[in-house]
Amino acid sequence: MASTINWRTINIDLLDPDSAANFDTSSLTPAVAPVSASEVQSLAGQIRQLLRAGDAEGALRGALENAPYGGDSHTKDIHLASVVEVLQSIKQSEMSPILRRIYQSDGGSALLDVLMKYLYKGMSHSPAPANHTSSTPRSSMSPQTTGFSQIHSRGGGEGGGQAMSVLLSWHEKVVEIAGAGSVVRTMTDRRTV
Amino acid sequence: MAAPEVHHLFHHPIADHSFSADRQTLAVARDNNVELYNQSGGKFTLQDVLKGHDKTVTGVDIAASTGRIVTCSQDRNAYVWEPSPSGWKPTLVLLRINRAATFVRWSPSELKFAVGSGARVIAVCYFEEENDWWVSKQLKKPIRSTITTVAWHPNSVLLAAGSTDAHARVFSAFIKGVDARPESSVWGERLPFNTVCGEYTNNSGGWVHGCAFSPGGNALAFAAHDSSITVVYPSGPEQPPNAVVSVSTQLLPFMSLIWNGESEIIAAGYDCEAYRLRGSEQGWEIVGSMESKGRPGLGGQREESALNMFRQMDLKGKVKDDTVLKTVHQNTIATIRAYDESGGALKKFSTSGVDGRVVVWSV
Amino acid sequence: MSQSLRPYLQCVRSSLTAALSLSNFASQTSERHNVPEIEAASSPEVLLNPLTVSRNENEKVLIEPSINSVRVSIKIKQADEIENILGYDISFLITNFHTEEMLKHKLVDFIIQFMEEVDKEISEMKLFLNARARFVAESFLTPFD
Repeated sequence: MASTINWRTINIDLLDPDSAANFDTSSLTPAVAPVSASEVQSLAGQIRQLLRAGDAEGALRGALENAPYGGDSHTKDIHLASVVEVLQSIKQSEMSPILRRIYQSDGGSALLDVLMKYLYKGMSHSPAPANHTSSTPRSSMSPQTTGFSQIHSRGGGEGGGQAMSVLLSWHEKVVEIAGAGSVVRTMTDRRTV
Repeated sequence: MAAPEVHHLFHHPIADHSFSADRQTLAVARDNNVELYNQSGGKFTLQDVLKGHDKTVTGVDIAASTGRIVTCSQDRNAYVWEPSPSGWKPTLVLLRINRAATFVRWSPSELKFAVGSGARVIAVCYFEEENDWWVSKQLKKPIRSTITTVAWHPNSVLLAAGSTDAHARVFSAFIKGVDARPESSVWGERLPFNTVCGEYTNNSGGWVHGCAFSPGGNALAFAAHDSSITVVYPSGPEQPPNAVVSVSTQLLPFMSLIWNGESEIIAAGYDCEAYRLRGSEQGWEIVGSMESKGRPGLGGQREESALNMFRQMDLKGKVKDDTVLKTVHQNTIATIRAYDESGGALKKFSTSGVDGRVVVWSV
Repeated sequence: MSQSLRPYLQCVRSSLTAALSLSNFASQTSERHNVPEIEAASSPEVLLNPLTVSRNENEKVLIEPSINSVRVSIKIKQADEIENILGYDISFLITNFHTEEMLKHKLVDFIIQFMEEVDKEISEMKLFLNARARFVAESFLTPFD
């Protein structure tokens, strides 16, 4: 048995409980309560209802106030989809006024920090969750797209480009209002969305 | 408001700076050495170089009344420098740490100094007469990462420290035989060495970069890498604090901060300029930049004539010259210190940073 | 095209500006060493959450920040097979020693400019390649006319 272990590649730092490599990063931020997928699912229903009633601001606020920090990755993905849906339903011209109202309300700066986390999360997800139609992988396309056609690359569907451009314009607006500070906090806060 | 005095010493980061009590001598940490500058006619000229460390010097502090200079470095050592007929004489301090020393400050009593380190300890150092050397006692618990900054309470017993474990803590650094027994305060009654009088974090888990007690010593402020400043008002020993006020700013993180009275804080960092905050237990907020009024020489330049602007566009093909920042400091400010204060009220403060400048500002 | 490039670069700019808040930090694990923590990855608390900025599936920037260094990885557009051949991925390591020597916003400018130029270059190369292909095809097929 022992002969199968390559002793030279063992990271001995990990075996020392006092080693810097074993720092418990959960100590960096307050503890978070566990959230189940069903709770988030019902929340998603409420958010959709607000959206249907035309209260996009209320839907956004509700989604940001209830970020499921304590959920597993599946739960988090459900909520991400809700947030992205709300973001996509808001018109470009309404973005800044809504953000400004949220920022000026009590605890509003923290809400925009949460939004910033979702914007980066949304951009790291590919293909974009709300864009199911364009999620067919490129490699499975028929061999005729050998690149000689220039029209195809400019087409609307460019790999979730539409969804990304919504997130990018939100990002720009949030930075205008909450500043570089909210980007910094997205990096430091270990409570991820 | 008087314009700030700008001293551009060299093109190199200044990790820390310290003025002598008469403000005639300025010590700056540059690479592996500490350079001493003397003031004459409003200018600082290089007088002496303290050589001894063999890695980046991270901290320097001149004791106000004794004039002793303490330095510490990433080479794991600290020296106390004293003037002698043949120049500055260093004495090695027995820190007993096996990682970088990161920060050093004399206690107000000047009988002790505290050295932060990457070994997850703070060495509290004092002079042992019998053996004629500087020895240390270590604050260890419950520090979990590198100490980035320390600050003394006016009573020279309590010590605040910030760490990359996102916590600011208040410890007792009481040394028997050196310190008089401190009066009980909101921080605690009996204070044996390594008593943890308070442990605080920030909302978003940012590393703590700078901390300071208020002039009266009954409040603690600290700046963290989540661009926040947190002010703690303790209520009494073993009690939850009266208030913990945290301001999440729109700016980049602050590196260093000082108090001006009990209701004002001046902080500076990655935005290359100093900001003023005002508040109390009820709340704190940013008032504005310290630069808006006293920015020298740049105000005129920015209002260029239209002719000049088009000429620039024609010759250089660019709309504006942006190789110079609009701030006085051209890079991150690492240290901010009181320069002229009386009774807790600040009249002037000094800043130094990565751009090799030391600037003295009027409040 | 340029309409959608601008917000992308703007987002990269603000993300990089925040990530490049670096300080001189000596190693906690190796005595008397000062190494880029993002590469050493030996102390989890000095590494920050990575940020992804993406324009679409094929063009994105990954920013991995730490206390004294940032790794910036750029996926340059590879939307089709030709761009796959012409384009490439590249990573930059930026440490506190770089931000100390250079102006931070100029460092950010450099990366942004690099991305713009590469975008332009690949488009140009693609046009050139297509023109050439057309020319070759024409001369190749002329005899059969």
